[in-house]
Amino acid sequence: MSADVQTPAAVADQPVAPGQGLWRYLAMPCFVAVALGALYLYVSSQELDRIEAVRLTPEFIAASTVRHLYLVGVSTVLVILIAVPLGILLTRPFARRVSPSIVAVTSTAQSVPSIGVVVLLALFFNLGVRIAIVALVVYAFVPVLRNTMVGLQQVDESVMEAGRGMGLTKRGVLTQIELPLSVPVMLAGVRTALVINVGTAAIATLINAGGLGDVIYTGLVQNRTIVTLTGAVLTGSLALMVDYIAGIAEDVLRPKGL
Amino acid sequence: MTEAMIRLEQLTKRFPGQSEPAVEELSMEIPEGEIVVLVGPSGCGKTTTMKLINRIIEPSSGRIFLEGEDVTAADPDQLRRRIGYVIQQIGLFPHRTIHDNIATVPKLLGWSDDKIRARVDELLETVGLDPSRYRDRYPKELSGGQRQRVGVARALSADPPVMLMDEPFGAIDPITRDRLQNEFLRVQEDIRKTIVFVTHDIDEAIKMGDRIAILGERSVIAQYDRPEVILSQPADGFVEDFIGSGASLKRLNLARVRDYELGDWPTGRVDEERPTLLAKLRASDKGAILILDAEGRPQRWLRPRDLQRPDASLSDIGLVVEAKVEPQATLADALNELVRSRVGSAVVVDKSGVYAGTVDMDVIMTAAEAMRKAARADARASMDAESSAGQVR
Ligand SMILES: Nc1ncnc2c1ncn2[C@@H]1O[C@H](COP(=O)(O)OP(=O)(O)OP(=O)(O)O)[C@@H](O)[C@H]1O
Ligand SMILES: [Mg+2]
Repeated sequence: MSADVQTPAAVADQPVAPGQGLWRYLAMPCFVAVALGALYLYVSSQELDRIEAVRLTPEFIAASTVRHLYLVGVSTVLVILIAVPLGILLTRPFARRVSPSIVAVTSTAQSVPSIGVVVLLALFFNLGVRIAIVALVVYAFVPVLRNTMVGLQQVDESVMEAGRGMGLTKRGVLTQIELPLSVPVMLAGVRTALVINVGTAAIATLINAGGLGDVIYTGLVQNRTIVTLTGAVLTGSLALMVDYIAGIAEDVLRPKGL
Repeated sequence: MTEAMIRLEQLTKRFPGQSEPAVEELSMEIPEGEIVVLVGPSGCGKTTTMKLINRIIEPSSGRIFLEGEDVTAADPDQLRRRIGYVIQQIGLFPHRTIHDNIATVPKLLGWSDDKIRARVDELLETVGLDPSRYRDRYPKELSGGQRQRVGVARALSADPPVMLMDEPFGAIDPITRDRLQNEFLRVQEDIRKTIVFVTHDIDEAIKMGDRIAILGERSVIAQYDRPEVILSQPADGFVEDFIGSGASLKRLNLARVRDYELGDWPTGRVDEERPTLLAKLRASDKGAILILDAEGRPQRWLRPRDLQRPDASLSDIGLVVEAKVEPQATLADALNELVRSRVGSAVVVDKSGVYAGTVDMDVIMTAAEAMRKAARADARASMDAESSAGQVR
């Protein structure tokens, strides 16, 4: 997961030419469908040995996928619930002094490799789903926090001053002007967090938290390339689709008129 | 004098970490129903002064009165709902429609939806935007000038007695600015708001202001008076420099064509015989006769040699009348047209285009003389008033 995805530069929305609209919406699902279809055909054309057959049952794969999505979903919701309010607090005038250091600390936490975070947490705490979710929250925290802050800071000063000048209260300015206007940037942060989490959740298997990592990891340990391949393609497809759906959500939730 | 709408008492603002205050001991009274223009060099504290009035910036010391009530410590949010505010950068809410932008304060005040809707449409009409076309648009779907109008409409929405306007026509081209200024003055004739208007353009100040306050560093008042007095009796060198050269020319901006006796040029109708027209022209001391159509609208200037050409029809020869002004135009506008005109005269027409008279050099000179006399009398009167006020104390 490269760090540059999280910069707000990735937020800039490229205008789409009218004719490209539909294609833009269909391209990604088509691509993923083709990839999954190819994987299916390939796997069914192979003679599976006993180990492979156990790992490649629909039940096992479905359960791993559901667990994966659960890890991603819960951790992302938690990240939003913690990072967005924190971002709002840190951009209020009274926090001007402390906010740079808090951002620095959280950024440092994120620069630790994800495996490191997981193993570190596992060393000190028990194994399992909860600790995996904590790790995911730590890891996806910074893009949401940073984008919330950037989103709020980039709101045009004059628009806020006009609001204050008309008699909106401070809270009114926040809820009616700042938050709506920073929604696009915040959503871009959430989208980044989701994609990071889909990738990082594949490591959760190391601490016994399940997910598609189970498929990849057993394939690696038992030296069954086809199992590893299946797990990897599924994880990749999931990341693409999550990103795709988040992209649509961004388009839908962006306030009109921006 | 009646109680001033806004009264500032020894208002001072010291920004933290700055040795000099941005506004120092400013005292001034802003009478009800007038446009008071604050004008001064960049950085002299105009915007700060404006923001002190609605307490976007809290004063370091001094007091603010609104309609006689001390609002220095009043709830700022409540205070601001009574004061319309047009900021320099307009500051429309990009994620809200024009309707919702204008409805901001009425909503805060809890008006009913029907009342708000009617008010928004009324205001859009007032500022010259067709409600059915623009009501549901977003700010980015408007031109700069249209946004500026919406900014003004939004400030007027809850019918506040006071408006603060910080360079409201700043960032637009001169032609549109001129139109917006004229429209705004027309609107102001009806609504009679008390307006504090900031600009750094002395010409705009002269045009818009009932009174002008020329501010120096730290918002210190160099002169606060009616524009004609400032132009004819600048208080000191600073004011003189600020007005710049051509004060007498600028004074022409204060005079409306309708207020002066117009010049009289010979006129004739398209259906009249040429010898008759020629005779009329010869009887006057002018070099051309103005031909009107059947409705009395000016068509062409004919000179003697045009009339001596028997071949062409009257409506094809001579000079087309291009230099036209309406009665509410300023003498400066008329002078400008006059200079462009090849016969040395601007034609005045009423709303329906009917000939009402002309403005030529004589008219301008007479008007300038009259203004000079009036300004001198004005200055003398205000000096007398001051000295007698001094005696009372
Ligand atoms: N928030 C602030 N903090 C510190 N200093 C400020 C602040 N706002 C304005 N000043 C200073 O106060 C002085 C007056 O500024 P102000 O904006 O009132 O000028 P102005 O007359 O409106 O100028 P302009 O015509 O350029 O808009 C300037 O020296 C400016 O640097
Ligand atoms: Mg200013």
